[in-house]
Amino acid sequence: MNDWKKILIAVDQSETSIKALNYTADIISNLPDAELCLLYIYPEPPPNYYSRGGSLSDYQQEKTAAAEVIFQNSMDFLEKYKLQKKVITQSKMADHITISQAILEVQAEGQFGTVVVGKRGVSKAEEFLFGSISNGIVHHCSDFTVWVVG
Amino acid sequence: MEYALDILPQRLHGALKRHRVTRSLRRPPRYFTDTSNFTAIDYGDIIAIDNRFLLVTGYTREGRFGIEEQVKPWVPRTEDLENGEKFILKLVFHETFDMQLGQFTINCYRNPEKEARVLELVKDHPHFMHGRSVLDEGNNLVRILDIIGGSRLDKYIHRGELSHQEYFFQKFPEVIRQFLECVKGIQFLHENGLRHGDIRRDHIFVERDTGLYRWIDFDYDFYMPERPFALDLYELGNILTYLTARERFHQKTILNHPDMGQAVLDTIVPGDLSVLSKNRIVNIKKLFPYIPDRLNNILLHFSYGTEVFYETVAEFHDELAEAMSVLG
Ligand SMILES: Nc1ncnc2c1ncn2[C@@H]1O[C@H](COP(=O)(O)OP(=O)(O)OP(=O)(O)O)[C@@H](O)[C@H]1O
Ligand SMILES: [Mg+2]
Repeated sequence: MNDWKKILIAVDQSETSIKALNYTADIISNLPDAELCLLYIYPEPPPNYYSRGGSLSDYQQEKTAAAEVIFQNSMDFLEKYKLQKKVITQSKMADHITISQAILEVQAEGQFGTVVVGKRGVSKAEEFLFGSISNGIVHHCSDFTVWVVG
Repeated sequence: MEYALDILPQRLHGALKRHRVTRSLRRPPRYFTDTSNFTAIDYGDIIAIDNRFLLVTGYTREGRFGIEEQVKPWVPRTEDLENGEKFILKLVFHETFDMQLGQFTINCYRNPEKEARVLELVKDHPHFMHGRSVLDEGNNLVRILDIIGGSRLDKYIHRGELSHQEYFFQKFPEVIRQFLECVKGIQFLHENGLRHGDIRRDHIFVERDTGLYRWIDFDYDFYMPERPFALDLYELGNILTYLTARERFHQKTILNHPDMGQAVLDTIVPGDLSVLSKNRIVNIKKLFPYIPDRLNNILLHFSYGTEVFYETVAEFHDELAEAMSVLG
């Protein structure tokens, strides 16, 4: 089992992502040896992105910029917890894999003991078509703990 | 404008002039090496591609169910002037449109490269159409398809004057045996990271000479990065529902059916309807009670009332194969 205090939190633009951050910060703010990694994963560009004249590097630049905004907002939020020194950030494209698989890859590489994700609360139909990242993570969880914040 | 008789080798002039299509033509046949502007190409014209001279003899049509047949100018039927071999061409047509699926809107587009990749992957697979892809002089990826002689699956299962019960016990087991091979074909695509993209009951052709069921039409694509294969899987469920009931059942269909009517309609609850299309019934056993539970349970995976979904086409295939082994 990896060290639970090595925490990976998947963030995006959503409300639930801030909720998850809030919950996590509350728990770890008094733990001197906790480490927190904010992770933003974005999907591959739609295949017709290229036929409209876009390039992969344009797309990745655009997404990296979006990630910076998300990270900045998250950092602002974390300020009152005085956690900045324990926090690192990472953004990455899910390259030929789903977003949940990409999160799991980062978890394995970084040997994170806890993965935190938000849950949107989607309908069954929506989950069937568009998937659920939290379910994907829970489904494949081993050697680490998942916190699902709804 | 280039004219065919100015450019074609002398030896083919006779074949062109004698052809039934050109005999009735009131203008000289034209010659195209670039298909970018495909709407300008017409019957009797020549498309020169892949070292062949292909005479346009017609266009494919497709009736989206209930809608008037639509001529597809980007899908000409052609004949090789040299040897009479027939091909369907698919010319590059970049179209995007929104597909409505229940309450969801999915952005779809045609992707010639994807169709080309599928054609390459399935070039030896018996349950897919075959063809190859070449660039024309305008750099358009033209797909040259071998024509499957036969008929659409949804028309095929209506042959003969069988009642549903007769159909279900006499014909359906063999239909599903073949359909299972098609399902395996889709599994094979998914394992190779590709999807069909437009799985519909009229996109399986039943080949006259061999009896094989074969998929056609691979150019649709859509952007669903988290569940890239879910739509294919859902549409396979739709086809299975159709094959089982032999038609699509809405509330109205039940009401108008001589053996059903209000009494049967009253038994239908929201959980019996399709998860994505709230007026289509998938709990077919309520309409035809002799349908075995094992089979009906597979259909219910696509219902509004379902608690579980199939994660992969393999799961769907294996459960269907098992359910059929019981049916015989
Ligand atoms: N290999 C084939 N053998 C026989 N008929 C074919 C073949 N490919 C296509 N057709 C016929 O041509 C029609 C149009 O082809 P296809 O469906 O590939 O075009 P499309 O423009 O992509 O259609 P759609 O609007 O459904 O996407 C088909 O419905 C079918 O009748
Ligand atoms: Mg079609």
